[in-house]
Amino acid sequence: MRSPQFALIAAVAAAACDGAPGGGDALSAPVAIDLTAPPATRLSEYHLFAWDPDAGFTFNDRVIPYDVNTALFSDYAHKQRAIYIPAGAAAAFDPDRALDVPVGSAIIKTFYFPADQRAPTEHLQLIETRLMVRHADGWHPLPYIWDADQRDAVLSPAGEVRAIPFTDPDGEPVMANYLIPQRNQCQSCHAEQATTGAPIELVLLGVKARHLNRVYDYGGSVGPRNQLDYLAELGMLTGAPPATDVPAAYDFRPIEDHGLAAVTGAELEAAARSYLDINCAHCHNPRGVQGMTSQLFVDHASTDPFHVGVCKRPGSAGVGNGGLTFDIVPGDPDASILYFRTETTRLGAMMPLLGRSLAHARGAELLRAWIAAMPATGCDDAAVSARAPRAPAHQGAGL
Amino acid sequence: MQRTTLAMLAVGAGLAASCGDDARKSTFPAVDCSKITVGSCVEIDGADSAALQAAANSIGANTTIVLGAGTFAMANQLTLRSDGMHLIGQGIELTTLDFGAATTQVNGVDSIGKDFLIQDLTVRDAPKDAIRVEQSDGVVFRRIRSTWTTPSRASNGAYGIYPVKSQHVLVEDSRAENASDAGLYVGQCQHVIVRNNTVTGNVAGLEIENTQYADVYGNTAEDNTGGIVVFDLPGNPIIGRDVRLRDNTIRNNNHVNFASGGTVARIPVGTGTFAMASRRVEITGNTYENNHTGDIALISGLAVEGEEAKWVLPTDSLSGRFDDLALTSPRPGTVSNFRAENILVANNHHAGSGTMPDPGDPLHLGLLFLAAYGTSPVDNVLYDAIGEGPHTDAPTNKNHMCVAGNTAGTFASLYLAEQTPTALVPFFRPPPPFAPYDCTALAGGPVAEVTLP
Repeated sequence: MRSPQFALIAAVAAAACDGAPGGGDALSAPVAIDLTAPPATRLSEYHLFAWDPDAGFTFNDRVIPYDVNTALFSDYAHKQRAIYIPAGAAAAFDPDRALDVPVGSAIIKTFYFPADQRAPTEHLQLIETRLMVRHADGWHPLPYIWDADQRDAVLSPAGEVRAIPFTDPDGEPVMANYLIPQRNQCQSCHAEQATTGAPIELVLLGVKARHLNRVYDYGGSVGPRNQLDYLAELGMLTGAPPATDVPAAYDFRPIEDHGLAAVTGAELEAAARSYLDINCAHCHNPRGVQGMTSQLFVDHASTDPFHVGVCKRPGSAGVGNGGLTFDIVPGDPDASILYFRTETTRLGAMMPLLGRSLAHARGAELLRAWIAAMPATGCDDAAVSARAPRAPAHQGAGL
Repeated sequence: MQRTTLAMLAVGAGLAASCGDDARKSTFPAVDCSKITVGSCVEIDGADSAALQAAANSIGANTTIVLGAGTFAMANQLTLRSDGMHLIGQGIELTTLDFGAATTQVNGVDSIGKDFLIQDLTVRDAPKDAIRVEQSDGVVFRRIRSTWTTPSRASNGAYGIYPVKSQHVLVEDSRAENASDAGLYVGQCQHVIVRNNTVTGNVAGLEIENTQYADVYGNTAEDNTGGIVVFDLPGNPIIGRDVRLRDNTIRNNNHVNFASGGTVARIPVGTGTFAMASRRVEITGNTYENNHTGDIALISGLAVEGEEAKWVLPTDSLSGRFDDLALTSPRPGTVSNFRAENILVANNHHAGSGTMPDPGDPLHLGLLFLAAYGTSPVDNVLYDAIGEGPHTDAPTNKNHMCVAGNTAGTFASLYLAEQTPTALVPFFRPPPPFAPYDCTALAGGPVAEVTLP
């Protein structure tokens, strides 16, 4: 690893280069992640990637872009993801949990909006870049907000709530009340613990084999390659079986592009569970700090129908219930809290807790179809006292 | 837009701490960093919400944030994720965190970390919970007000003062108003004192849920749908026990039930107290007045969740002591917590309640009472008798309900499991000392006083 002194000087020098386009200079030097220095004020100081409205994203050496099969919905924000792993190090494969990414690495996720979702590569506005840097004591989250001139992003621990207008996939003008999370809010999603009260650990969410097991077009001489195979070939991932031997989460893109017609009945369960896994299970898993109380677990590994929500009463969902009784009523999405909370835009009732102010039409349609396709067994709402006698009419009338 | 960096924040804090003029006196009339003797301290000028957010997301552990007088317009929640975070305002009338303009669904103050203290401020109009403190050991709420501007609105936030999954919790001298679920909600905590608070205008005023060792005294619950309630929910990993409700005032809890759903939507309007799926609870020395449906109900968890399987808990998933409780074990390695049992009710004052049972509650309890009592007031202490023998046999007290010392009130056993929409099974209404419910002591001894470090 490069010496701290050098990195510090490099960072200061980069900061002094006022007016350098959005990381236009960023690739003139190797990636500079210095675990001993304070976080960089400007994103370009890390030399991770360059961005240009015409050329798009260009990544530095050892910064590998990636994508996931089903993505967390974030008000239709597009996301450019990448992983940096220092020379001589590699991530270790894990069949279920996040890859074990070595100290000194970084996960880079840039959120941007096209002016019109129907033209996803035109008129892009970069909003924020979220950096997760792997230190010896765990992941450190660092939020950067892009300048109005789109030339660089500035460390912004306080985050921001920003109204962002754009045209949605159906051509309708919409306004997102987009949340750029404050630094402490990273833990709202990226936190796990063995049991209540155990130490809280920041974790990666998308960097799991099943989410990464897909083809990415790296362009140039590399072209389209399976992401896991390519990382392994680069020596940046060890212990991975061939990608053909790794389960893959469902690829949501055909649903986003073509609606439910893209899903066969046989695929519905897999598609819905993949959607729940990435959109809900960061909290709703047995280790999820904010979700374990609910006892609703929709991570890929949870299969017990009660914990997945079938005929389960919520513990303390408050207004989130929408006046309904059970998380999932098989066959009846309109009676299911799970569908209500993922479809509503009502403050205090929406799920996920953070990162959504708009409804995700295709996602909600998928969950609706999934619940509707369950055999309609109904849920027993016969609490003992529901059988209490009705009052004689003359008594009720007096009240 | 505020983009304070770590370095800038440190400089700003230093400047604030070094000022000492009259302007600061008006901003920090009650407390400033000079009065904070533990850890680090940061002063935030009144209404400077950008500085507050920058500080909260940059400071390290063991820091006190002193908020100046003023109203902080908050677009996002105040998120605290370090140990030793203390948040102190200038008083509930002087310092307000106002979330009325928040467009994202967030809590007001959201803290995870040990040794948390919040004191002398108001949290208003949070989209979700006003002050949620989770997984802390050592929590103090003192002279806090949580409120929503518009009363009785279903879209108000769920919980006001909300410590959950925490230990050694003190809530005192605070006010919780207008929550669409519970104003003061202690959930899945251990070692709790809740004293001298006032809860008004909430669906549930004060709730103690799946909590062990709680002492609740000197509180006033008025004008809620339900006043002070104790219960377990199915599936939670702490089995509630050892709760004392004593010397509280629970009156006029006849507020319309404006919950949009959940357990509290089933609370009949005019409920004083219920203990549901609870054990080792003492309800003593309280004043109950003018709660239209009734004062005290002792009910099984099966009354709201009738499927016993949902109350089964693997013992290896549980926190806190339960081995000394008489819990049923449906199969090896599991226990169930639906029973209400081993509850003491004594020396409470009752006046004017039970005169207008709620005819519209989803559990139809109000209708049952109307059918059973007609124009007479509902008895002060009601026991559902779920788990006892049938009404055709001599009454049993398998659940060890002890009401002998509550001679200033009346008692009825409802035989709730036997009631049907077409036939009313007569209630059992013994005179004092209410045999066979005439015991005067809990099995396992009285609930011990809670002491906090």
